[in-house]
Amino acid sequence: MNRKLSAAARREENWGWIMVAPTIIGLGVLNIWPFIQTIYTSFCEHLGFGRYKFIGLGNYAEMLGNTEFWKATWNTIFFCILTVPVGVALALFVAILLNAKVKFKGGFRTLFFLPLVCAPAAVAMVWRWIFNGEYGILNQMLGQNIQWITNPRTAVIAVAIVSIWSSVGYDAVLLLAGLQNIPKTLYEANSIDGAGKIRQFFTITLPMVSPTMFSVLIMRLMASMKIYDLIYMMADETNPALTDMQSLMYLFYRSSFVAGERGYGSAIVVWTVGLILLVTLIQFWGQKKWVTYDI
Amino acid sequence: MKRFSRMTAAALALVLLLSITGCGASDGKTHLTFQIWDVAQRASMEAICAAYTAKHPEVDIEVQVTNWTEYWTKLEAAAESNTMPDIFWMHTNQILYYADFGMLADVTDLYADEDPSYYQNHFSDISIGNASGSDGRLYGVPKDKDNLVLVYNKEMFDAAGVAYPDENWTWDDLVSASAQIYDKTGKYGYMAYNDDQMGYWSFVYQAGGCILTEDKTRAGFDQPGTRKGMEFYVGLQDYEWCPDQSYFAETAPGTAFFSGIGSMYIEGNWELMNKCVSFPDMNGKWDIAPMPKCPDPVSGDGRATISNGLCYSTAARGKTRDIALDVIKFFGTEEAQLLASSYGAAISAYNGTEQPYFDAFDKAGYDINVPILMDQFAYGVQNVNNAAKPKWKSPVLDELNKVYNGQQSLDSALDNMQNIIDTETAKKLADN
Amino acid sequence: MKSMDSLHRSYAMAKFLTYFFLILGALIMVFPFAWMILTSSKTVAESLAVDPVVIFPAKWMLDNFKEAVASLPFGHLYWNTTLMVFFRVICAVLFSSMAGYAFAKLHFRGKNLLFGVVLIQMSLPSQIFIIPQYQMVAKMGMANTIFALVFPGLVSAFGVFFLRQTYMSIPDEVGEAAYLDGCNQWQTFYKVMFPLTGTSVAALTIFTAVFAYGDLMWPLVVNSDLKMMTLSSGLSTLKGQFTTNFPVLMAGSLLAMLPMIVLYLIFQRQFVEGIAGTGGK
Repeated sequence: MNRKLSAAARREENWGWIMVAPTIIGLGVLNIWPFIQTIYTSFCEHLGFGRYKFIGLGNYAEMLGNTEFWKATWNTIFFCILTVPVGVALALFVAILLNAKVKFKGGFRTLFFLPLVCAPAAVAMVWRWIFNGEYGILNQMLGQNIQWITNPRTAVIAVAIVSIWSSVGYDAVLLLAGLQNIPKTLYEANSIDGAGKIRQFFTITLPMVSPTMFSVLIMRLMASMKIYDLIYMMADETNPALTDMQSLMYLFYRSSFVAGERGYGSAIVVWTVGLILLVTLIQFWGQKKWVTYDI
Repeated sequence: MKRFSRMTAAALALVLLLSITGCGASDGKTHLTFQIWDVAQRASMEAICAAYTAKHPEVDIEVQVTNWTEYWTKLEAAAESNTMPDIFWMHTNQILYYADFGMLADVTDLYADEDPSYYQNHFSDISIGNASGSDGRLYGVPKDKDNLVLVYNKEMFDAAGVAYPDENWTWDDLVSASAQIYDKTGKYGYMAYNDDQMGYWSFVYQAGGCILTEDKTRAGFDQPGTRKGMEFYVGLQDYEWCPDQSYFAETAPGTAFFSGIGSMYIEGNWELMNKCVSFPDMNGKWDIAPMPKCPDPVSGDGRATISNGLCYSTAARGKTRDIALDVIKFFGTEEAQLLASSYGAAISAYNGTEQPYFDAFDKAGYDINVPILMDQFAYGVQNVNNAAKPKWKSPVLDELNKVYNGQQSLDSALDNMQNIIDTETAKKLADN
Repeated sequence: MKSMDSLHRSYAMAKFLTYFFLILGALIMVFPFAWMILTSSKTVAESLAVDPVVIFPAKWMLDNFKEAVASLPFGHLYWNTTLMVFFRVICAVLFSSMAGYAFAKLHFRGKNLLFGVVLIQMSLPSQIFIIPQYQMVAKMGMANTIFALVFPGLVSAFGVFFLRQTYMSIPDEVGEAAYLDGCNQWQTFYKVMFPLTGTSVAALTIFTAVFAYGDLMWPLVVNSDLKMMTLSSGLSTLKGQFTTNFPVLMAGSLLAMLPMIVLYLIFQRQFVEGIAGTGGK
């Protein structure tokens, strides 16, 4: 009996390995090995054409003493502040509106979701044109003369607006699914108590939707910490606000790809990944305080 | 169940099919790839390839175009894994980096059998310099030579009653014409933006300064001529007739010019034919003039225009090295260079093959004063480069950006730019 | 009576505000598209006019579209994008289903460690893989092929993570019943379990397709031959060529977005509901 069970267990184990093999081998070759190499090169100086010289913590020392690096770290955090709390709050607002009894609900949902299916390259292009300081329609409508993309103070905000515009519908759809799972009876029981709509929102809606909200927050935060594409497509090398808007991953691109400083670029990557893991851990730790899995 | 296994089988079969179609066709020919970055020159490059394959039917050459930015990302990655394209363009920004690391085939003796001093007899010193490594040997066959010109809008000059620019124009004329045009027509004058090759470099050399010293080991930003040129060029954006750098970050000077918003900008001759073709409505309304000169240079006669040139290179350790060398040997002949010139996209480097370039404008009916390009070669300055250029190019641009957006003074920027170039260059020299 | 009245009034007010914000939001969402369409039909001069700004082109014309089509081989771009999306979806669904099932239902040594690999991959920025992956493709001699486009999408960490959640929500009894019927683990997986994950697989398909379609850097680096590019990377080439000629760029963008938008409008229900499922609980 015992031997038979262990034979079955061994078979199960073999199947387990076989079934994860393609994924694990693929991830190992395509992603994990390059990442290990990145960690290694962060301790090296790139001499050129993939030749490295081990220099210990030199890149990290240079990085931590560099104002451009701290600026990029702040830009990334600022971008996250703009897109994560503000973006997700907006998405929740849209989800609540869509959850109300309205006509053309499907139509609205379709429109809010539309940016997701558009190529980011095209999205960046049209927004660049809308934001254009001289000829952009936005300044024409506002009657202002703001250099949205080239003014150090507005550049990050402009990128964040595009990012929120692209993702708000997606987040709202996820949150809407969460909202629709809330049993109606909870509200009915509560309204007999005479609770106001506002109180209802904080006592029922928010706790009930908090698990969905948590996963939306995690996903959005991870994406925002890695922001790169939008900046790459919206700013040129000649943009005088470039150092005021570049994110960590954009700084990595400029160091590794443009200037060939791959050791230094790798150190930035290690820092960024560490930062992502840190905020993710904080979120998982913090979820106990506000995410309700049962009511 | 059946559906799933059938799906799996089909998917695997398709993946297999994919990998097969990836392999080269087996028609017995040698297939070479030729990588370039300029779409506008695809036709002329295909023409010289066709001329070669007509003589060598066993060879097939495919021209591939990659955007400028990705071109260098790819080429470096390919060089590391020894998978470079068979033939490719090389630029002065990068040639020393590639050559010093032994990535490019040495072509100094390519023509030794017919003429040991082939290059010296048929190409200018600047062209040879642009194709040379730090060791003075050639790592590419010179392809073309270019220089920069002042492009101006004739209608705006007429409207403001200002005489067209000519070879006697100085910086003062540039400023006063810009002011008059702006006052009379509301159009921008000379559009001076933050760029090295297309921007301040020419002005620095006109003023008698330099970006790098003669031996290329130090920057020249601490020299009086350089300072003079920089002060003048950066100061241009203070005039109300010149847009500021934020404007140029969103609208290239060329775009502003051809949409009738500005009256002058500096362009490289390699773009002229492309502009003629792209903006047929502007035909006859614009022309080119020599670069304005510095009226009171610290040294020299006040004339300068940056003259760059590309070359055809092949990998030092490519699998098809010998055939590729034979192809680029042909690309360096009078026949191939005459043919390439005739497309009007670039002036071939081989002395005496320039005429078809000028004729191309006439033939296509574009009335542009192209012969002045020929005169300008007399005072052309070789495009600035040293082995550390890939490292200092963008940090230096960043420093100047901080002057344009008011974060630092020109003085401190010049100090920093000097510092960046000197440090990177010293580091490079120590590594070698 | 009075309280009923005020209740009614506040109800009407809430209704009005709901519609107000929904319509405002919808306008903001649609505006860039509208502006794209309007700009794509303008002349360059019209697009740059500021005083007053030109909203509607004087003449609706297709010249900019013609110019975009003349500069880019759109036929190839559509076809390459379709193939890339198709193969990435097949690979993601196939391999992720297998691994997702194994991680959710099977016991084997090293499971937690291996699942950790999946989680780590999800937090890594994709830009760091471009050069190493390009070198792998180049070494295989596969640059400028459809295979090269598919390459980084051969496996999907997100797919594994997402489908693992799905398999975990299927009760263990389902699998046990099949096992007692004499199925081995593989048969249990593809006969019984896989067919139960239809909606999740659909969601993963959409997610993978949308992501692959938007991928820009990789296709740009790995395939330089214009005929082997995707819509996104082709568009970026167009930008290099026309720099700030926005009417042509907008026309090109519209052409690049059109197929996906049409697909979306036809299957919008499936799209939206599929994606709603990727949120997880």
